[in-house]
Amino acid sequence: MKQRLGATNIKILAGAIIAVAVVIAVFVVVRLDVIGKKSSGLGKEFVYDIEGLAKIDPNLILYEELGQPISTGFSESHGIAVDSEGLVYVAGDKAIRIFAVGGTLSGEIKLIDMPRCLAVASDGNIYVGVKGHVEVYDRGGKQLASWPALGGNNGSLLTSIAVWKNDVFVADAGNRIVLHYDVNGTLVNRIGQKDKGKNIPGFVVPSPYFDLAVGGDGLLRVVNPGCHRVEAYTYDGNLEFWWGKFSSDVAGFTGCCNPVNFAVLEDGSFVTCEKGLIRIKIYSPEGNFVGVVAGPEQLLEDGISHICETAAECQSGGFDVAVGPRGQIFVLDTIKNVVRAFSKKKEQATKPRSHKEIIN
Amino acid sequence: MSLCLCGRKRSKTVAESKNDTTPLDTKLSHGATRRHFLRDAFRGVCLAGLGGVAAFLLNKTRKTNTVWQIDPHKCVACTNCSKYCVLEKSAVRCVHAFSICGYCRICFGFFGPEPFDITEGAENQLCPTGAIKRTFVEDPYYQYTIDESLCIGCGKCVKGCNTFGNGSLFMQVRHDLCLNCNECSIASACPSGAFKRVPADKPYLLKTVDHA
Repeated sequence: MKQRLGATNIKILAGAIIAVAVVIAVFVVVRLDVIGKKSSGLGKEFVYDIEGLAKIDPNLILYEELGQPISTGFSESHGIAVDSEGLVYVAGDKAIRIFAVGGTLSGEIKLIDMPRCLAVASDGNIYVGVKGHVEVYDRGGKQLASWPALGGNNGSLLTSIAVWKNDVFVADAGNRIVLHYDVNGTLVNRIGQKDKGKNIPGFVVPSPYFDLAVGGDGLLRVVNPGCHRVEAYTYDGNLEFWWGKFSSDVAGFTGCCNPVNFAVLEDGSFVTCEKGLIRIKIYSPEGNFVGVVAGPEQLLEDGISHICETAAECQSGGFDVAVGPRGQIFVLDTIKNVVRAFSKKKEQATKPRSHKEIIN
Repeated sequence: MSLCLCGRKRSKTVAESKNDTTPLDTKLSHGATRRHFLRDAFRGVCLAGLGGVAAFLLNKTRKTNTVWQIDPHKCVACTNCSKYCVLEKSAVRCVHAFSICGYCRICFGFFGPEPFDITEGAENQLCPTGAIKRTFVEDPYYQYTIDESLCIGCGKCVKGCNTFGNGSLFMQVRHDLCLNCNECSIASACPSGAFKRVPADKPYLLKTVDHA
């Protein structure tokens, strides 16, 4: 009899222990959410997260913002240029707006269509890329010339202009080619067409960002965004060398196609601008990473590494950059349509550090 | 002795009825009789009922002629599409507008933000279900196609493509799968109001090259 009672008690005890264990397990699963993210239904692997990449080591940031941004008043803006006197020219909304050093609007040139790019020559003439052709204006806004439309198989989309002495270089993203003109608008040659014999790979331009400028050494620099590099060409169209590489870390160019825009500093260094993960960075004339002007935390929402939400917001995030006469870097924020000015931090201004020094 | 029939009313004689005005024939202040009023009210109620039925049928017809779809320009690829559909596997899939695609060698809709290598290895891919196929076209171009049997509509690739690329990957409700619920549970959970009803004869909101 006692044995039977003992066996029954053991069964009851075992049942009670199992019941308590089940209750604890249910509690742990529900309250501590050991299976997945609370109320998400999906695990971490389903969430697109580049917050970590957006954060930049403060020691790498060599520049600081100067004052308040200049509001352009445009609803859509595409290009920025700075002349030798420090006047800032912004292309957007069928107009070129000219801002004085303090940010006050000092002039406006009305255009017939949306400008995509512009350049200011040393004589003060303004070259504007409007749809598939170039228009030339003097500083007072008088139209001096309108060059014939470029045409092409895919339809031209002019995204950058550079003027150097008597040469004008125009980047055509639609046809993935650089057109070399003289200042009178006569086509001299085409640069960058795929040519295995000349070891020219051709430009890979997946999105409408295709920039060029003349480097400190006088060679033409053209971004090959799909290859994540900046290529150096002679004016005859020979590819001399290139620099740049794909990398997710801050020293390289990330995304499908970067950099989107760049400018040349007085010492021949480069200021590059990336889309997606919006970063303005400095590279030496040889293409070595030097430091950062500003990252997403400085350029977008204050203190938040907000990248973009809708497709339209993301597509308009190809910021442009220009260099002022005193080494200031002007960044055109094409999302908020404002211009931000940056200058070297005081401790950086005296002794620029190399990337190796910063890393070490 | 007469019996008193308490509580029972004596019925009126014909003569009394003729002289008396019954409540039904009582003239109202504006000249209409109560009978007319009740008749008109009955007709009004019938007409209102007919109108209601017609409106109900019209509404029902209109609803069956529209379907749910995602406006790709409002979609923020939040992952809710894969979580809130009443179907076990969501009716939302990623689709690809080839006319917008850059055919990039390094597509950030295909590769994770920090790929180990630029190869099709699973460790380099962004899609958690491996639903995107990368095919070499010619140097340096690659084509990306969606295997809809594997896609669960989480939108992770859409986010990557929007952020870094041309936005050629986007989300759409597949109408061969969608139950077209009256109240779509994804639409209720959509944070950007991207879900909307569109005509059934034009059930997809596709991106074109103008949107690039």
